[in-house]
Amino acid sequence: MRNIKLFIGFASLLFFLNQERSLAQKPIEVGDLAPEIVLPTPGGKMVSLSSMKGNLVLVDFWASWCAPCVQEQPELKKLYAKYHHPSQTGVNLDIYAVSLDSKKDAWERAIKKLDLPWTQVSDLKFWTSPVAKTYQLEGIPFNVLVDQKGYIIALNLHGEQLDQFLSKRVGK
Amino acid sequence: MALSWLTTLAQTTAEPWTDSELKPTQELADQINDSGKKKPLIINVGPQAVIPGSLDAGPGSEKDNIKKLEKILSTQDKNREVVIYCGCCPFAKCPNVRPAFKAVKEQGFTQARLLNIPKNIKTDWIDKNYPVQ
Repeated sequence: MRNIKLFIGFASLLFFLNQERSLAQKPIEVGDLAPEIVLPTPGGKMVSLSSMKGNLVLVDFWASWCAPCVQEQPELKKLYAKYHHPSQTGVNLDIYAVSLDSKKDAWERAIKKLDLPWTQVSDLKFWTSPVAKTYQLEGIPFNVLVDQKGYIIALNLHGEQLDQFLSKRVGK
Repeated sequence: MALSWLTTLAQTTAEPWTDSELKPTQELADQINDSGKKKPLIINVGPQAVIPGSLDAGPGSEKDNIKKLEKILSTQDKNREVVIYCGCCPFAKCPNVRPAFKAVKEQGFTQARLLNIPKNIKTDWIDKNYPVQ
């Protein structure tokens, strides 16, 4: 009886340690449900990632201080013009841009200057943003493509690769 | 061999700092955490001050912020250790650290240091549980 108790105790400990390990270290992967993000827009309205379900959503992690991110925005605008057709039947692309800016005026100025029409959110916490931890960001630009049901279908695609991937998914 | 030496030389001379002027993150964290240790002047030259006690000059890519940095430095002992940091992105992509470090050197500080953040402030500082303000 004592041996059984010891065995159960040991097995529970192993299970618990394994759970802790997997929770702490599991990387964001294709096939995962995209972790929820709920952050304010420049106007202060809270918008969740899950509210965009039903669309193919590109979660774009960027910042006005990140030169490669800013350089990428005109390319994203072209893709948005190409694949964002909410009134048509079929798959529609939307973009949920999460900024790691820390200064609201710089963030707003960049959105205005680049004339970005899609959803913009930020907690203005720079790299200390909890979202950076949740999505295990190692650097930006970084993006996650989420399908209509909220599952991650691609990670960090840019330029031609992103265009090709979208052209296969949109219209399916 | 000669090519490798030339490449190394080119890389070394391309930056305004030397390897010995790169401040290890652990060393700065120890100085902050140990009340008995002498504190350097820590200045943020990036988008956001993250390190406790650091002064915020703002992104070094903007001329006004370099003026702000020079004003901060103008009242300091030239022999005091000055540590600047950005942490937005890898040094190769960072627009802020070069003009800021040059400004510190031009002011004649004998112990000018650049915090060695090869990737960004999250990976190289926050994720290591170093102090955050």
